[in-house]
Amino acid sequence: MTGMEAISAHNGWAISAIGVTIVFIGLTLLSLTISQLHKVLAFMERKKSDSRKKAEGAKEIDVSDILIPGDMKETAREYKMIIDRMDAPFSLPRLLELSEKCGLNRPYSNLNDLIQSGLIEPDGEGYYHWKGPENP
Amino acid sequence: MAIDTQTLKSLGLFSELDSEELDRTAKLIHPMRVMEGEVLALRREPAQMFYMIMKGNFMVSFKEGKAFTLHQRGDIMGWSTIVTPFRYTGTIVALTDGEVLAINGDEFKVFIQGDSSVGEKIMNRINPIIAERVPYFSREAREARKELLEA
Repeated sequence: MTGMEAISAHNGWAISAIGVTIVFIGLTLLSLTISQLHKVLAFMERKKSDSRKKAEGAKEIDVSDILIPGDMKETAREYKMIIDRMDAPFSLPRLLELSEKCGLNRPYSNLNDLIQSGLIEPDGEGYYHWKGPENP
Repeated sequence: MAIDTQTLKSLGLFSELDSEELDRTAKLIHPMRVMEGEVLALRREPAQMFYMIMKGNFMVSFKEGKAFTLHQRGDIMGWSTIVTPFRYTGTIVALTDGEVLAINGDEFKVFIQGDSSVGEKIMNRINPIIAERVPYFSREAREARKELLEA
């Protein structure tokens, strides 16, 4: 017995169908695994960074973490000293007036730099807040 | 030095004007350099000049120490030139060296009132800005109007 007859006699068609099904299911599972791999990697990455933060005792990032450019540190310190003596939120024209009285260098452009760098921020009602670190 | 119409068109305030209207607008405009600390307008003084920022940073301050700052090209200052009682509601000072386009208030008023189409296009742009700035000066503006009526 040879050919198709032999295949039928020894369950060849059923075996082929099972083979095709197994391969199909295998490939489907493989593609699903690959498609979800990024989630696993992200989870692992998050876990790693969490444990690193814990180890370093890292605190929550807040506004006081604003980086002050080196050349602005002195200016920020001078203005912060004046702002500390004003009510919060403070008046920008009043700060300008006081900085002029204190004889600070280029009060207008320095004030502008502090605003542009986010160290001084408007409260939306016409007054301003110091948003930089407590000790610039 | 005259300002070209393409530059004017690129500013929000005049973006809706057609080329003929832009030509006429350009004739009213005087580019002006400003120095750090220069005062462009004084609160409660008659509003004589309208300004548009080309370059630089400015502070507009009001009664009770309120203020806001302007940093963007195309931002406007001195809209009191075209709104009653035609007195500045705030003091404008340059925080840095810069450049503004200045328009004489009387000429600007005549220009806007003389052409309803241009007037509408410009006021459509100015009204939302006024509404945005009202919280800074509303009480003061009411007082100024009252004074004007009493005078």
